[in-house]
Amino acid sequence: MITLNINKKTHRVDADPNTPLLWVLRDIIGLVGTKYGCGVAQCGACVVHLDGEAVRSCVTKISRAQGKKVVTIEGLSETNSHPLQKAWLDLDVSQCGYCQAGQIMSAAVLLRENKNPSEQDIDDAMAGNICRCGTYLRIREAIQLAAKDQKNG
Amino acid sequence: MEKNNTDYSRRAFLRASALAGGGLMIHFSSLASLVLPKNGEAVVSEQWSELNGYIKITPDNLIKLICPNPEFGQNVMTSLPMIVAEELDVDWKQVVVEMGPHDNVKLGSQFTGGSNSMRMYWRPLREAGATARQMLMQAAAQSWEVVLEDLTTKAGIIYHEKSGKKGSYGEFASKAAGIAVPKGVKFKAVKDFSVVRSSRKNVEGAKIISGKPLFGLDYTHPGMQIAMIQHPPAFGMKLKSFDASQALKMPGIKDVFSMKLYEDGFEQGGFDVRSFNELLVVVGKTTWEVMNARKKLVVEWMPAGDTKNTVGGRGGKREVVVPGELEDTDAQHTKMREYAAKPAQQLRKDGDPETAFKNAAQIIERTYTAPFLAHNCMEPMNFFAHVTAEKALLVGPLQAPGWTEPTLMKVLNLPADKIEIQMTRMGGGFGRRAYGHYLVEAALISRKVKAPVKLIYTREDDTTYGIYRPMYTATYRAALDADKKLIGFHLKGGGIPEHAVHANRFPAGAIDNYLAEGWQIASNITVGAFRAPGSNFAAAAEQSFLDELAEAMGKDPIDFRLELLKRAKDKPVGRNNDYNADRYAAVLQLVKEKSDWNGADHGKYSRGVAAYFCHSSYAAHVVDMVIRDGQPYVERVFSAVDCGIVINPDAAANMVQGAVVDGIGNSLYGGLTHKAGVVEESNFHKYRIIRMHEAPKKIEVTFVQNEIDPTGLGEPPFPPVFGAVASALYKATGKRFYQQPFLLTRPGLPSA
Amino acid sequence: MDNSEKNKRSYSVRMRTFAVIGILMSMACLMTFGAGFTLVEKAAMAPSEIPVKDSVASVEAFKEVYSVLMSPRCMNCHPSGNIPLQGEDSHLHAMLPKRGLDGKGVYSMKCTNCHQPVNTPGLNTPPGNPDWHLPPADMKMVFQGRSAYELAKQLLDPKQNGNKNLKKLIEHADDGLVKAGWNPGEGRKLPPLTHAQFKKAWITWLTTGAYAPKDK
Repeated sequence: MITLNINKKTHRVDADPNTPLLWVLRDIIGLVGTKYGCGVAQCGACVVHLDGEAVRSCVTKISRAQGKKVVTIEGLSETNSHPLQKAWLDLDVSQCGYCQAGQIMSAAVLLRENKNPSEQDIDDAMAGNICRCGTYLRIREAIQLAAKDQKNG
Repeated sequence: MEKNNTDYSRRAFLRASALAGGGLMIHFSSLASLVLPKNGEAVVSEQWSELNGYIKITPDNLIKLICPNPEFGQNVMTSLPMIVAEELDVDWKQVVVEMGPHDNVKLGSQFTGGSNSMRMYWRPLREAGATARQMLMQAAAQSWEVVLEDLTTKAGIIYHEKSGKKGSYGEFASKAAGIAVPKGVKFKAVKDFSVVRSSRKNVEGAKIISGKPLFGLDYTHPGMQIAMIQHPPAFGMKLKSFDASQALKMPGIKDVFSMKLYEDGFEQGGFDVRSFNELLVVVGKTTWEVMNARKKLVVEWMPAGDTKNTVGGRGGKREVVVPGELEDTDAQHTKMREYAAKPAQQLRKDGDPETAFKNAAQIIERTYTAPFLAHNCMEPMNFFAHVTAEKALLVGPLQAPGWTEPTLMKVLNLPADKIEIQMTRMGGGFGRRAYGHYLVEAALISRKVKAPVKLIYTREDDTTYGIYRPMYTATYRAALDADKKLIGFHLKGGGIPEHAVHANRFPAGAIDNYLAEGWQIASNITVGAFRAPGSNFAAAAEQSFLDELAEAMGKDPIDFRLELLKRAKDKPVGRNNDYNADRYAAVLQLVKEKSDWNGADHGKYSRGVAAYFCHSSYAAHVVDMVIRDGQPYVERVFSAVDCGIVINPDAAANMVQGAVVDGIGNSLYGGLTHKAGVVEESNFHKYRIIRMHEAPKKIEVTFVQNEIDPTGLGEPPFPPVFGAVASALYKATGKRFYQQPFLLTRPGLPSA
Repeated sequence: MDNSEKNKRSYSVRMRTFAVIGILMSMACLMTFGAGFTLVEKAAMAPSEIPVKDSVASVEAFKEVYSVLMSPRCMNCHPSGNIPLQGEDSHLHAMLPKRGLDGKGVYSMKCTNCHQPVNTPGLNTPPGNPDWHLPPADMKMVFQGRSAYELAKQLLDPKQNGNKNLKKLIEHADDGLVKAGWNPGEGRKLPPLTHAQFKKAWITWLTTGAYAPKDK
């Protein structure tokens, strides 16, 4: 049994400690907002926050998550009120939408560490997240919009 | 009220699933919460009055619109219901949208692909909205005992001005549902549109950004098992034997077995393509456990040798030999060069091209190639199936349920009414999910293990056993006379296993002496649709060639194209020219103006232009490239598109921007190669997908404003990107690029 | 202050000595370079560790050291720019992760977001180590593009090597992240020497005068 703290809730999970967090979230706990894209930390669809860092859950074993705080897209805000979620809706960023949870979780770390990210900062932070539909321009714009929103209150 | 939306949607989803007994996907727009009972439970289904397959209304005047076509990111779940809402004359805020089940009788052909949705549904959906509105008005006229002509509607309310009576659609919905569908109902004038042509947000936007279960991979079912298929390591191989004893000892594993997908002699339709027929299947409890057990399989593979497929559909039932060769990319190139030198099938001929070339003062000849492309949908192939002796439930990502259902009927020996297919939101499609072999596989596995099963492809499975965009080549030749006038044009194209020659496309019709020919090489590498598969190659090659031709003729590349289009309009050569020269020219003129083609800051950028017509819409791009950190980088793009009436402008712009980014990525980096039949790019570490830092800073999209019936947008903006990028690369580097992907070179082949 | 003065003096004295040897060795086309061990450092060494200068042995040892350091397993995390390298061909790391000030990446692209404490099983997965990082921005310790001479010089320069003296340099051979090069994860080639061979060559190089091959 491994105890995980996910979105402020404690889960006791009966799984091999080597199991990637992604599959425990999706198959055992039932939080499917975190996506499987590549399984080898190339695409960023599975990004969750582990003690605030944007880890790729497809390669992060649950043993590493033990005793740490996991936040998934479902726990980013209760009412879609995170500035990034609002900006994503304002600019209607999504196309197929599959990668967007990972994009938002990556962007959230950027915005926390840099209140006023430049285009270069955004490129640096977001190059690990693939969007096959090509919504990158709107993602960039949404991050800047969210930064403004965050600054204004 | 917005605040409750998240919770509500989730509960509604669960409740709706329970009601349907099998997990009906219900999708509510963000304002659904306005009409919610306090307890947050979904509105009970009995209250819905169904006016037709696309429209359901409750007594409370909640309007539910059913989307017929599966959603893979092109936003049809929003734009198709917008058409209904327009003619029905309801406030978009009153509307909830639900993805329809597979029901070709009520919902039409339900095919997402070929940029077809708008073209296919524009008229049926207008009719659905307009006739339902009329039925509601007839019901009101009967109730109020007034004449129909005196009634008006606005935003879901019926008015009788003379008496001052008014009532909501909801009040009359149940009565209207019993009225015969009227004929000859008039549509709104385009100038009166209030929903269509104004930007509406993605109806599932809020669910996407909060991680709701929308996709096939998210689907779950009580008692559901996970299945994966171990495929041969290479095209041209097949299963010899396997030892599953170690795999079966792994935790969570239920079963390992091999089975055939299609029985011998099964008559394959055009969309029954599959890479391998014999499936080695591992079934277990969780994805991770099955992934691990797969690694413990001890399998022997053997060369498949030449095999036969029985193919039906167009052209009648016939046997097709699939060669057993283990293919190499270098050998494929060699073979293509050999075939290119042989006589080919004539596809179109105007005038006397042979004489034109004989008399030419100058002949320009260029050969272009492009590799196989994998779709790389972000959500790998997967499907849920629960098959019993009596019925089958299938849930997952699928572009064309109507094409897979007949296959399921044959394979499962079940009648259509016992097969229920539900389409989830798709994490990308790009043509890949028009091929339903993976749900047939899921169905057979479920039947065999007698349990609900979700079949999952890993990324590697998805990339290495795909239904790819074919490998192409084409040689373009132009004959110029002594005055540098274009007197002859020759296109000879080929491919593995099919060519990409569209003989009746521009510049056919603009040149007196024209010849188009095609040839193909059989292969065991499976191919199919891919975001304008042939067009994106054809546009790259043809538009690059026209650019080079314009340069040789000393003409501006846009002016040169406009001259050809003027000729095609004024005095078209031949018949069956498949484009409208005016609309073609208009997008070029528009992009010329918007990009300030001859403007002063031109010098900062290496500019490339291209235009193309395919899948019924016109698109042109100007690509502005710079060299950044020693690498070509497309910094900004101007796009002009004519797809007729633009239903949802902001979403349409989003799709064009996406097509531009996708086009840049695929032209510069995209490609799939083989070594002894093995796909060399198994995952994103090697199959390079364009990333954030490689995407332009700006893509300015302008639509031609007209009142022509809308056509599609999924494909048309994509192909010309390739040609524009190629020409910009030439400006940036001084080198012409003939081989895709432009920035990844293959040893032993000329890169430029 | 006193120490640094002393260092300079003792250093220059040794340089002169080496210069003589250098002349002697010129037929072998070698240029020598000495590590500046202070007297204090020498005092701290066990008698067996006190350098016995042997330019031939030292240069030979460094050739071996260099072959390891320039192999992808070592060089990929010692890039000339601010983006690590990847693969046997040492191409720029996909998705261009940036070094960051502390060498641990930036924002949502920190090394350990993908690189776990241990290797991730499977092909093409991120190799792992608890301490995965690049050298920090103020001490980049570039290997990529360095000649043997340049790299030797850089390794010995306290200003460029994280203030490591001989003892610390010797110890560094057993650093966890250095050793990670010999546990590269599935499908990756090992450095050209075993870790034991490398360590032996490293110590030999350092303890025989830390000579470096002359640039060609």
